[in-house]
Amino acid sequence: MINRHPESDLMVEYATGSLPLAHTIAVTTHLQFCEECRNTTESLKDIGGDLLQSGESIEVSDGLLDRIFDCIESGKDEISAPLKKLCSDKVANDLPGYVSNLLPEGNLDWRKLTSSLRVAPVSVGEQDYELSLHRINPGGKAPKHYHRGREITVVLKGSFSDEDGVYQPGDFIVREPGDTHRPFATRNEECICLSVLEAPIRLTGLKSVLNPFLSFSPS
Amino acid sequence: MMRSNGTVGRCLVNEGTNWNTMIERIGQNQDREAFSALFAHFSPFLKAFLIKSGGVTPENAEELVQETMIKVWRKAPTFSASQASASTWIYTIARNTRIDWLRKQNRQNPDELHAEDVYDEREDPTPYSSLVQIRNKKHINEQLGKLPDEQAEVLKLMYFQGKSGQQVADTLGLPLGTVKSRIRLALNKMKLGLMPAYKEGITQGGSYT
Repeated sequence: MINRHPESDLMVEYATGSLPLAHTIAVTTHLQFCEECRNTTESLKDIGGDLLQSGESIEVSDGLLDRIFDCIESGKDEISAPLKKLCSDKVANDLPGYVSNLLPEGNLDWRKLTSSLRVAPVSVGEQDYELSLHRINPGGKAPKHYHRGREITVVLKGSFSDEDGVYQPGDFIVREPGDTHRPFATRNEECICLSVLEAPIRLTGLKSVLNPFLSFSPS
Repeated sequence: MMRSNGTVGRCLVNEGTNWNTMIERIGQNQDREAFSALFAHFSPFLKAFLIKSGGVTPENAEELVQETMIKVWRKAPTFSASQASASTWIYTIARNTRIDWLRKQNRQNPDELHAEDVYDEREDPTPYSSLVQIRNKKHINEQLGKLPDEQAEVLKLMYFQGKSGQQVADTLGLPLGTVKSRIRLALNKMKLGLMPAYKEGITQGGSYT
């Protein structure tokens, strides 16, 4: 049962294309699990279609249609099927197909942050955001951390909980800057999440030297 | 009649049926007449939309209209009127074309990810509950024009100018929370997705301001 959905403004940003790519991926991942939000997305695109035709119009130049027919005839701009890169990491089998397709070829670069938490970055060509997969061992605790930027987490497998509740596959959790929390995985199963981070988080307490996400930059 | 750009096109009530059929004709028979009618109707709207949406200059706009319409031709065989209406479908193709173009301008695309991949729209659309969709679509048509000005204004800034909620707040000099609640009210009024979360606002992932 999914209890956490993207807020309505985020859904509109998603439908209109103003979200950064990493956030768009997080919402699409949620949609793999949530039929309600899929329907909402379709409706939000319907609004786009309606507004498109009720908006301004500007005449296009005379030859444009002919140029388009020329392109079509010449077979230029043919839509090529994307090269399917297969991720050989075992984790790919546990994820929705949509997420596995985004993963790089070969094995993921898992970094062990604590005895029970591993993180693998997923490059989507964005500089301002880090998209990554997190795995917490069954019953394992992630270090208590403080958010300097907004973090979006989508549960892919298993479940985890923190001070505010229990999160199941598909749940879309937003942590605002300044939030501190300590997630831990449910005892009987490991938990895999997709996360988008706007700015590195900072660990609180003793291990504060070990800002995990700084380890992504070459040291 | 189909060629008279303007009169046919502005009649929103019959729009759905007509243009859906046109796209099906293109998809099934490579019907150039249908494509020309579709082009005459949609490309001036697309051009204005792309220019206003930000980041696209009037000179680039026709290039993007061209790219969008070529995709319409190529993808027409996969169009299914039970999945989306013509205008929704074309809007989505234009949105994706714009996103990819902007990313290319910013040289932001080392992984060759396309909007279609990221939105998961390339093939085999996820089956939607079409009954719900048809009902929603009807509500949207009816309610969009009836929204209070302040809600319609927010939606238009987001759809036409590609602004985020925060950017709308900055533009209008309003707190983000006010913008968010206007969006929520607007979506409620249109009964989007019949989603309980929008009715209560308590099970959302984010915090409220």
